[in-house]
Amino acid sequence: MSASMRGALAAEALKLRGTLAAWMCLIAPVLVVLLYVLQLAVSGSGAATGLEWTGFLRSLLALWALLMLPMFVTLQAALIAGLEHRDRQWKHLLALPVPARHHYLAKAATLAAMLLVAAACLMVAAPMGGALLQWLRPEMGLGGMPPWGWLAIQIAAMTAAAAWMAVLQLWLSLRWSSFSVAIGVGMAATIVGFLVGQSARYGPFFPWSMPLNTLAGGGELAGWLAAAGTMGGLATGAIALGRLLRRAPD
Amino acid sequence: MDAVRTEGLTCRFDPLHGVDGLELRVPAGGIYGFLGPNGAGKTTTIRLLLGLLRPQAGRVWLLGREQRRDAADAREGVGALVEYPSLYAHLSGRDNLEVSRRLLGIPRERVDAALDRVGLLGDAGRKAGVYSLGMRQRLGLALALLNRPRLLILDEPGNGLDPAGTLQMRALIRSLAHDDGITVFLSSHLLAEVEHMATHIGVLHAGRLRYQGSLADLQGRMCGQVRLQCADRGRLLDCLATLGEVGQVDGDDVVVRPARHDDSQLLRALVLAGVPVHGFHRERPTLESLFFGLTDVHGDLA
Repeated sequence: MSASMRGALAAEALKLRGTLAAWMCLIAPVLVVLLYVLQLAVSGSGAATGLEWTGFLRSLLALWALLMLPMFVTLQAALIAGLEHRDRQWKHLLALPVPARHHYLAKAATLAAMLLVAAACLMVAAPMGGALLQWLRPEMGLGGMPPWGWLAIQIAAMTAAAAWMAVLQLWLSLRWSSFSVAIGVGMAATIVGFLVGQSARYGPFFPWSMPLNTLAGGGELAGWLAAAGTMGGLATGAIALGRLLRRAPD
Repeated sequence: MDAVRTEGLTCRFDPLHGVDGLELRVPAGGIYGFLGPNGAGKTTTIRLLLGLLRPQAGRVWLLGREQRRDAADAREGVGALVEYPSLYAHLSGRDNLEVSRRLLGIPRERVDAALDRVGLLGDAGRKAGVYSLGMRQRLGLALALLNRPRLLILDEPGNGLDPAGTLQMRALIRSLAHDDGITVFLSSHLLAEVEHMATHIGVLHAGRLRYQGSLADLQGRMCGQVRLQCADRGRLLDCLATLGEVGQVDGDDVVVRPARHDDSQLLRALVLAGVPVHGFHRERPTLESLFFGLTDVHGDLA
């Protein structure tokens, strides 16, 4: 990695200091776990049959993939692009003797890092949520060790499958300075993803429903979706970079 | 070597907006005032110089290096403040500079040096979002100075400043040119601001360069008038007519644009003719009068 690219990454890290975007990496996974645990604890659903770890985690991850992950990606992409749109920073950044592609690549790396941090938080928060539920409702049968290996593979596949959606959302956010364009498209795509995601035929091909589909079928489909999401993200990222480099800043 | 040179620089958005066939020659050293009314194309020119816009035709050289939009190294040694300063409001003044420092990969000491240069060291820890307009302008200038530029491109740096802020900014820019040897390319529609600082000027009107050169040359080319005070204006006008000059009454005075005599010849001729002249004053044209002369469609000197 060139010194200039390292500098761009370090600059991105500083820009995030004290921002909502930085806190969201922790808030989003913890919130989804707390909401799900609260719902189970209050409703008591699963108490009669027993829930077991895999069932608990599968439902939790479905909630994450279906709702929170697309919204998290939408918000984070809009927030990190908004840092430059808000005071028309692009004209300052692009006038510096720094290759323009480094600014855009650093943004993509930042969003990827945020996804990874959120995934790591979810990896810790999900079993903690299970332990909390076991303490609140022991009859649900969440005793013993959680399936760490299964959980890690599933979260990794989901995160990789989200890469395509993340790149598309970042492109939108960088291209249009209006916050509402990126948020509006992200929300609409999340709803469409919810509907499309239920289709075994189309679900695995729609970027917003690909993470959810990693839970369907066996590990083979999850692996395929992880690879397809990553490749789709890389290909779309290359096109987006080319288009952004040709564009004059606002 | 010119600090800035363009050849046939053209970028037209529509028949009324943009720039057309710009041939800028900004000599190294000194302050170049780039004047023009609002909408003349000043900001477009600056965006073209910095590679923020792609020209439809023409080429740009900054400090001898050809500028292309994708060539970051062509902007080495160039600092810029385009329109108003772009700041991260949630970061402190120092952190705003730190962001650029990390991007540029330059030593950490430069941040405090730049803050000190613009007189913001004491407020560096405060969030940029609470800075006054004058402080924001100075922080923007510090951002432009961070890379120790040899060429500083400033777009309307006096915009929105109060009189005290204007004076501070003017003194700072003058000092950067005179003490640090930085070539300053300064766009403005504030004539007085440029008149107090610039050694060279370029006048842009409707996307075309109407004049370029030293301010003294321009004043020389557009000679002023002589204002005469005399107790007997009728006799003065008659004498001027005899000498082949045309005088006009202006209030209590008579003004004349001597065509056949220089100032000393004219004064001697009037005295020898016994005209009781008790005031003789050559009025130098102000930049304002020159500017309006040049931006009038009939006043093209380029």
